[in-house]
Amino acid sequence: MPTQSQSSLIVDDEPIHFDPGDTLLTALLKADRHPTGGGCLCLGGDCPHCVATVDGVAYVRTCQTPARPGMTVERENIRGYPALPADRRPGPVAPAQNLHCDVVVIGQGQAGRTAAADARADGKTVITLDAQAGQEVIGIYPGPLVVARTDAATLHVHPRDEIVIATGAAETQPVAPGNQLAGIVTARAADELAAAGVNLGKVVAVGAPPETIDVEHASGELIRFEGDARVTAVIVRDEAGVERRHACDTVAVGLGFYPRDMLARMSGDFPVRVVGDAATEARIPPCPLAGTVCHCTGVAVEDLDFIWAQGFHEMELVKRATLAGTGTCQGGACIPHLRSFLADRGAELQPAFTARPVTRQLTIGEVSAGAFHRPTPRTPLDDIHRELGAQMDRMGGWWRPWQYSQVPDEEYWAVRTGVSLGDVSTLGKMQVSGPDAQELLERLYPTKVSTIKPGRSRYVLLLNEAGYVLDDGLICCDSASRYTLTFTSGGSTTAELWVRDWADSWGLDVRILNQTMALAAINVTGPRAGELLARAGFQAPLPYMGHTEATVAGVTCRVFRLSFTGELSYELHHAAAEADILWRRLMALGAELGVKPHGLQALTRLRLEKGHILIGQDTDYDATPRRINHEWAVKLDKPDFVGRRAVIRTNKIPLDRQLVGLETALPAPQEGDLIYCDGQYAGYITSSSPSPVLGKAVMLGWLELFDGQLPDAVTVNGRPARRVPPHFYDPDSRRARIEVTPRANAAQPLPELTPRSGRGVHGTGLARLAATRIVARPAALSSAAWPDDLIVLPVAPDEALLLGRNAPDELVARVGDPHALAIGDTSFVAAELTPEAAEAIFQRTCEWEIPPDRPAFAQGALADIPVKLWLEAERVLLIAPAPFATDVVERLL
Amino acid sequence: MNEFMERQVKLTWHEPKASYDVVIVGGGGHGLSTAYHLATRHGITNVAVLERKYIGGGNSGRNTTVIRANYGIPEAVRFYQRSVELYQRLEEETGRWIMHERKGLLWLAHTEAGVRAERARARVNTAFGAETLFVTPGEIKEIAPEVDLTGGGQWPVLGGSYHPQGATARHDRVNWALAEGAMERGVHIHQRTAVTDLLKEGDRVTGVMTDKGPIHAGAVVSAVGGHVTALGRMAGLRLPIRTHPLQAFVTNHYALDFHPIVASMSLLFYASQTARGEMLIGAEIDPQPSYSYRSGHHFLQSCAFRAMTLLPFLRRLRILRQWTGVCDMSPDYSPIMGKTGVENFYITTGWGTWGFKAIPAGGEQMAELIATGETPELIAPFALDRFARDRTLADRGSAGTH
Repeated sequence: MPTQSQSSLIVDDEPIHFDPGDTLLTALLKADRHPTGGGCLCLGGDCPHCVATVDGVAYVRTCQTPARPGMTVERENIRGYPALPADRRPGPVAPAQNLHCDVVVIGQGQAGRTAAADARADGKTVITLDAQAGQEVIGIYPGPLVVARTDAATLHVHPRDEIVIATGAAETQPVAPGNQLAGIVTARAADELAAAGVNLGKVVAVGAPPETIDVEHASGELIRFEGDARVTAVIVRDEAGVERRHACDTVAVGLGFYPRDMLARMSGDFPVRVVGDAATEARIPPCPLAGTVCHCTGVAVEDLDFIWAQGFHEMELVKRATLAGTGTCQGGACIPHLRSFLADRGAELQPAFTARPVTRQLTIGEVSAGAFHRPTPRTPLDDIHRELGAQMDRMGGWWRPWQYSQVPDEEYWAVRTGVSLGDVSTLGKMQVSGPDAQELLERLYPTKVSTIKPGRSRYVLLLNEAGYVLDDGLICCDSASRYTLTFTSGGSTTAELWVRDWADSWGLDVRILNQTMALAAINVTGPRAGELLARAGFQAPLPYMGHTEATVAGVTCRVFRLSFTGELSYELHHAAAEADILWRRLMALGAELGVKPHGLQALTRLRLEKGHILIGQDTDYDATPRRINHEWAVKLDKPDFVGRRAVIRTNKIPLDRQLVGLETALPAPQEGDLIYCDGQYAGYITSSSPSPVLGKAVMLGWLELFDGQLPDAVTVNGRPARRVPPHFYDPDSRRARIEVTPRANAAQPLPELTPRSGRGVHGTGLARLAATRIVARPAALSSAAWPDDLIVLPVAPDEALLLGRNAPDELVARVGDPHALAIGDTSFVAAELTPEAAEAIFQRTCEWEIPPDRPAFAQGALADIPVKLWLEAERVLLIAPAPFATDVVERLL
Repeated sequence: MNEFMERQVKLTWHEPKASYDVVIVGGGGHGLSTAYHLATRHGITNVAVLERKYIGGGNSGRNTTVIRANYGIPEAVRFYQRSVELYQRLEEETGRWIMHERKGLLWLAHTEAGVRAERARARVNTAFGAETLFVTPGEIKEIAPEVDLTGGGQWPVLGGSYHPQGATARHDRVNWALAEGAMERGVHIHQRTAVTDLLKEGDRVTGVMTDKGPIHAGAVVSAVGGHVTALGRMAGLRLPIRTHPLQAFVTNHYALDFHPIVASMSLLFYASQTARGEMLIGAEIDPQPSYSYRSGHHFLQSCAFRAMTLLPFLRRLRILRQWTGVCDMSPDYSPIMGKTGVENFYITTGWGTWGFKAIPAGGEQMAELIATGETPELIAPFALDRFARDRTLADRGSAGTH
């Protein structure tokens, strides 16, 4: 077993000693080991000749890596390409560190130091990055952003004014037969190696000599290196054409410099200044005559000659055909020689191939620093679903319960025969008010909005300009100047942008308040839903598709009567903070009725029996109202709405296929099964389920028309199926529309429940923030006089988030806008941080700059979570949507 | 020398002529393939391919070389399956090594909706001639033991589809084999020749104006990537195309040990190992339309992280290079091929993230159209007028990322 001491490394399983100040390369050379077996060492990180696998990471530049006790080094070229890591387990990711400054200076040679000093003298804040100090810049990116690898963290440097590139110049590599031997170094490297105590033996210098060591000069043109594995002599040709042989242990080659211009070339139009040697014009070496040009890929001059003769003349084509310049040094060693070769053969100096990140390498784990998955939001009832053992699934962009019960169809039958609760908090919810609210909706929706009476709702489609269905939902009329809209869970983000964009484009006088997260929603559904609500104190005679404000089980709700499941249903929209108590009270009040929760699996089955489509599952981007059999929802006699012209135009084109209902015997076919008609492909199934109540399989699917007719008899996955109207269950919707007679005195006392305070939102300990959101005309909002104790966050020109316990009605009354909208919003959580703690979070996760003044408001993404910050001198409030509370704790706190 | 250096192809360059029977604008894979098939299948060799930079320098040389036919609609499955089969024969036909390698393609699903989609994909693929199987997590582990089925504890793999004929080939070698095959039959390819306008007589296109002078043509084919809307405007067409950047990166070279192509339909990345041992990783298109070839850090950071989540072994691999191409996206995520309504002007575009895999079939079919004047049945559904005819080919779920 190799032993390990305070100053030893393990190289190819053997311990070797190193001295203080050694890099891995100097330690290896002192132990008479060349990292890759040969090639001219440059010590500048520019060539591929010193790479090795260090602590399990291959392709590390040993010349740039300080030796530390116990490091393991495996040499690469000896064994061919390094193996992929055998360890397939997840591991830690490097931390990110975000830094902001006026000027970033890359490189700390003479020119870089001067540039940094000058900038500081001008009062600029300066960050310097220097490869010699272990800060390896991998690229300059749009932002502008300079990313650098260090051992401790990956730096994201955000300069405000300027990037100074002072990366110096690389020494030109020798191209001559034998240049793959060990014992060849650049002139500068010879000085540095000698200073580090590496024994170079007898040194012969070709070209400009090293400055600090004694050498034998070999003047003339470099012809070849001689030796077996290690160089033993170098041959030069003098001006008289005479070849001279110089025996040696080391050859130091001083063939000139080539600017390290990769960063400058990739910086594009950023405010970049290149100084010092990096700014010098590239000096093209003489055309190489023989020997290896690209060591990474083994391309020699003869290969270039071959490919030239084959008709490959463009620099990029020569690179791609030979692969020269595509190895681990990315052309660092070969670009000058390639340019020289092509200029010689083609009489035209072509530019170097495109400079691309990464200019210095880093691992996938290191570049991932500061990356996070897009967080999946959780509803206010998420804890309850998980406590109930629900199988959770991501659907429509949210975590949602797929099923709770292991008993087949238990959730389904609870809805069909009793009463059940479903979490529909993820529905898109929006309020629109203002003098033009009705006008906006008339133009957006293909229904006659003016005929929806206050207190009533209507199912609607949302179309795009091409007449294709974007989304569906409800329009609920509160008054002629105020409406509540709902959207599908997955479509709500697009729908919100859609509504806002059109309102803006048309210049309409409306206020728009997104309530999706602020309001939780519970669907109480089943023939005994009315009984349960009566027990909960709601006994109003609410008609089908009606809505009203009411207190249900002690919680203020907007109650919507509608039905997605086909049974009597009430959707209870209420403040997010009250969802937990409302759900638990309803479960307790409904215990005698056998109330059970239902998940998405049961819900999609229940709605399928009713033929209700799921946008996105049953439709693709080209669903017209006619194709999905929803022409009844489109009133073409309206003067105009988005998509009207397209619908009128496409309605004249013969119909090619339609979304239809199909039924067959059990077991149910699978979604995606293909439909055939007389042996011809005729479509596919989008939704399929056994129908427990009907005793057969029910399906929705796309069916093609044949000679203008939809076939009635088809096969699905080889089995006969029949086309039927898609309203499989209760086609007249008697159950959904049933008249519910109010029953006096049915209300039960509210159940006593164990409070669950202390755990915070989703068990994070974070409490919900008491706040009000107000949307109003920007002028009215900015001139409103708010109570002194409120913190007012201007989250948008037309929207303010007010932190405090004041009543929304009282606050909105202070705004000089009769159409202003307000909601008590409990859908945010907040963490109060010290400025120091906040700064640490920002360094790790904040790619944008925090405003310097206090107090200040800022908003943006931290670790992919949308946050709002209230920054005071003594504390920082970090505010985030409660659906991301878990992510806030895991990623930020 | 290295074993992957091109040793076979010889490119023969010509001086431009004043007129050709067919001028193809764009010396990428589709332009070269169209020229190749005109020459080899129809004996039409008085053809010029005009390339603004160098052949294969656009997306044909920037893509991530995946060949597959696992689309979600019959029209696309049939078309890409034809291309998969032509690719399998291309080495034999051209006598050139394109480094074609069957790897098998895994698409992983992490949600119930994703599982449903992959199940449906397997069905429609099988019915239209492309083999795709639905696979369970256990089967996935057998195909790709490197996959962390828990998805880092956050993105568990619930199932997926497996497309055994999923393959890769070296993009440059495909371009060059086609270029050589066309050139040796007399086709001219002119590099560094930019088309600045179309020559027209009335509504008829009669040639192109280039930065080196006019070239007359019996037919003009746009096989342009990126700036196709600009070329379309010259013909008086408003094309339904938006161009978005698409980025990718490779690691250094490692011993060959990662066999399949693995993609995640939720995390939106894919990874394979090239013949030279680089791990090649890509993601979805950039959300903002742009013609920019500039590489971004957010892509690299985020894509690396997502890939590492399912393939944890990646975390210690050192990155070599990242780059950017541009994708012409059509509204329905399907290509546009065929006649344009402008006489003598043909178009092949909308190649999004799926252009490379369509090079052989796209060129073959376009050549047949130009040679015969009749739109072949295989590409008839992809005609430009499908948007006006309300016959779009909505297949976003199959566009994937590669």
